[in-house]
Amino acid sequence: MAAAKKTTKKEAAPKAAKVAKEAPAQAAEKAPQASSQQHTVSAKDARIGVFICHCGTNIAGSMDIEAVQNYAKSLKEVAYVDNYQYMCSTPGQKKIDDAIKDHKLTGIVVAACTPRLHEPTFRTATKEGGLNPFRFEMANIRDQNSWVHMHDREGSTEKAKDAVRIAVAKAALLEDLFPKSVPVEKTAMVVGAGVAGMQAALDLAAAGIKTYLIEKSPTIGGRMSQLDKTFPTLDCSQCILTPKMVDVGRSPNIELMTYSDVESVEGYIGNFDVTIRKKARGVLTPKEAEARGIVGGGCNGCGDCDAVCPVVKPNPFELGMKPRKAIYIYHPQVVPLIYTIDFESCVKCGLCVTACGPEKRAIDLESQDELIKVKVGTAILATGYDIFPIENKEEWGYKRYDNVITSLEFERLICASGPTGGHLIRPSDGETPKKIAFILCAGSRDNTGIGKPYCSRFCCMYSLKHAHQITEKIPGAQAYIFYMDIRSFGKMYEEFYYRIQDEGTKFIRGRVSNIQEDPKTKNLYVMADDTLLDRPMKLEADLVVLAAAIQPSADTNRTRKLFGVSCSMDGWLLEAHPKLNPCGTTTAGVFLAGVCQGPKDIPDTVASAEGAASAASIPIHMGEVELEPYFAMCIEEKCAGCGMCVNLCPYSALSLVEKDGRKVMQVTEAKCKGCGTCGGFCPGGAIWMQHFATPQIVAQIDAFLLGGEQ
Amino acid sequence: MDTGGHEYAFYLGCIAPNRYPGAESSAVKTSKKLGINLVDLKGASCCPAPGAFGSIDLNVWYAMAARNLVLAEQMNMDIALICNGCYKSIWEVNHKLKHNAKLRDGVNTVLKEIDMQYKGTINVYHLAELYYDPEIAGIPAIEDSVKTPLDAKIAVHYGCHLMKPRKDREFKFESQSKTEQPMWIDELVQALGAEPVQYRNKMQCCGAGGGVRGYDIVHSLDITNEKLINMREAGADAITEVCPFCQLQFDRGQIEIQEKFGVSYNIPVLHYCELLGLAQGMSPQELALDLHGISCEPFLQKVL
Repeated sequence: MAAAKKTTKKEAAPKAAKVAKEAPAQAAEKAPQASSQQHTVSAKDARIGVFICHCGTNIAGSMDIEAVQNYAKSLKEVAYVDNYQYMCSTPGQKKIDDAIKDHKLTGIVVAACTPRLHEPTFRTATKEGGLNPFRFEMANIRDQNSWVHMHDREGSTEKAKDAVRIAVAKAALLEDLFPKSVPVEKTAMVVGAGVAGMQAALDLAAAGIKTYLIEKSPTIGGRMSQLDKTFPTLDCSQCILTPKMVDVGRSPNIELMTYSDVESVEGYIGNFDVTIRKKARGVLTPKEAEARGIVGGGCNGCGDCDAVCPVVKPNPFELGMKPRKAIYIYHPQVVPLIYTIDFESCVKCGLCVTACGPEKRAIDLESQDELIKVKVGTAILATGYDIFPIENKEEWGYKRYDNVITSLEFERLICASGPTGGHLIRPSDGETPKKIAFILCAGSRDNTGIGKPYCSRFCCMYSLKHAHQITEKIPGAQAYIFYMDIRSFGKMYEEFYYRIQDEGTKFIRGRVSNIQEDPKTKNLYVMADDTLLDRPMKLEADLVVLAAAIQPSADTNRTRKLFGVSCSMDGWLLEAHPKLNPCGTTTAGVFLAGVCQGPKDIPDTVASAEGAASAASIPIHMGEVELEPYFAMCIEEKCAGCGMCVNLCPYSALSLVEKDGRKVMQVTEAKCKGCGTCGGFCPGGAIWMQHFATPQIVAQIDAFLLGGEQ
Repeated sequence: MDTGGHEYAFYLGCIAPNRYPGAESSAVKTSKKLGINLVDLKGASCCPAPGAFGSIDLNVWYAMAARNLVLAEQMNMDIALICNGCYKSIWEVNHKLKHNAKLRDGVNTVLKEIDMQYKGTINVYHLAELYYDPEIAGIPAIEDSVKTPLDAKIAVHYGCHLMKPRKDREFKFESQSKTEQPMWIDELVQALGAEPVQYRNKMQCCGAGGGVRGYDIVHSLDITNEKLINMREAGADAITEVCPFCQLQFDRGQIEIQEKFGVSYNIPVLHYCELLGLAQGMSPQELALDLHGISCEPFLQKVL
């Protein structure tokens, strides 16, 4: 291993050394270009302070801190070295502050965790000491070293020395940088109007911020409006949700855009330019009617059109268990109470237009999609979830056996406003089921590669609630719950679990291996291993309810890409930090609410939405935000005006302008994300990437390859 | 012999040549009509049986299967076989040896004693998958080869080792990865003009595998009995499978069930190749159907 590394060094050395020689020259040339307040240091005058963090035993337990410290001391740019148990603590930060003053340091290196975690902390400490905060460089000796080489003390010590040497090389060439402030548009956007999106929008609106609430379906309410009762309080989902829906509908600060998608997003925190596609709805709201000069017209939700429409389609809100017409509302409580035409199935017979009448004139069969542009300061994604296609777990026969249904179908069937008026029936014959088996972790906690490896988190609780509901509604009914573990983690949840046990529901700990249908009776044989009694079992049930796993909603991936948000391996949107910044994302100004970030029950969803609203309102209330000054700069005397960079820039941040009779490139700093694409490409070396400048990076490469033996 | 270019080393296994010679002869004859030439794999041993050997000493299982693979490597031909147990041993060991250098070295150390070396140069196929693959044979070619459409209800038994474990199988087509409700052999049966019937618990084991038949015959027959009940319920005129061991269990098993439980079914059991042979116009004698335990006569009268 060591031998191989040496060979690489030797081979790479001549080239790297050559580049290194050019580096100071470039830095000098660049100086006049930079703002006149900036004082450029060359590595020669550098006095770097190195601070090595133990991170308790996280780092110190896996390497020789003293050896790293002694090594750091030997580096010629290093003027001061220290170590401490927790550099991020107040005394740790104080060490940096003091050392800058006492030892006239020009740059700071902290060898500790990752910049993702503590770069802002140490930048602040650097600033406190009187240096420009961008004179700080971090060496990651924890996440990328001690944690991965926990049992190789010698190796991790050597690697830490490398990391420190590389960081020092860059720190010696760092410049003063000054963040730009940009004003923040005093509006926000929330994408998705389920309970998370509604709550976030209501909070933002209450804080005085104009909020665009974008919903892809014709009504707000989301999944929660499909539920019958909520656990563990058993209050009716619609009853607690509908008032919120109405509030959203009438809040003066919320501009509700249903049946709309986000089409494109441009800009950056404080200044997002979002284009919304308002899908052709075919029906005018009273406001839209008025705009067309139809006074007192527009849809009032009377339903006369619905009555005459000849086209019948399954209603997706009822999961296809109830019909709807080509002109439809999902259910009577929709907000806004405006009909929608499904143009894919509409035959344009015009009966609805006649039924609507000459006063209202609400129906426009020729309506087209509209693109609407809005400018917002911050945005919250609340795109929710879909049910995992549980038919993929073939052994349970969903979609093959009539009497195997999903929990969401159960919710609709048990709900008083559902397709059966709240009478639970077996789909095969309409009979009332008496023996009902609930299968938990259906597709969740599944490592077969077909289902999802994660816990969907609320299925245990709603299945307990389902068991309660059948016990309550159907005399003589018996519920069987097949489970792995019951995860009743929330407030009053465990108590609810005991209650359901006491009510007589039978709990069988075992995963269901197979379900078979009796072809004549359409009853189901549920096969499982009862792991508490250690014996295989077979249960004949009238109805099987699969507590299917959940997955990010179908449109999540497209939407997240528009906003530049990452996702984890399982598709849920990635928060900035799982514990300390669960609502933020790595894209400044974009936040997450509800299940799109990961499975959550209603209380957690609402809490997350309130968190996101609070976070999204901060930049708006501050009025301006600082942008990290990592943008590209043009060294005009070197720029040939070829314009290659303009086409390469993924953020449209570059343009060519006339200056002194020739063309040169110009950077719109607020748009530049500092990705470096242009800087890496520029044939004339005319683009200076602030904080990632060529001499700085070359110095790092040299420090690594030459091992500090320049 | 020019057969259109598809040549395979034909790995016989044990049960087909010893108990159901019709399965062997029908494989050779029907494949020829579909442009596949099966060449004798001389010197082959038992695969060895995955349950019996695999549960006792995996290294013996690897080494013996590897030896059979080397014989085919020496012929420079891919292997075709007609038994699910053989498929598990030969396909899976080939797959493991190709992907695990340590295991391969270990096996080669043993093979060196008989001057052999496993190289990993060939692939292994079940003849049924070659029949299903339109680039080799395919449903339309099978339909074209049918002279006597078989107007009967056929219960298809897939057998466990063919399809499972799913994570250790790499079939060419999406339809073949549906391990819980597969239909691709049903499609092959349909190509013969027959109706593949759907019955309860279709993917249940025949009862023979995993050493159960050898260890506890009554338990094993109990499983077979349950399958037969379900097949009879669906009105099957015959059972078809692609594994002579499953064939043995259903065929001999019915006689044993009669003796031990006093229940008789008399549902004939034909390897898919035998069924295809009938449809292609071969005589029952040519297919050695008279050597089956359960008489095929009523079925033959119905379809011929």
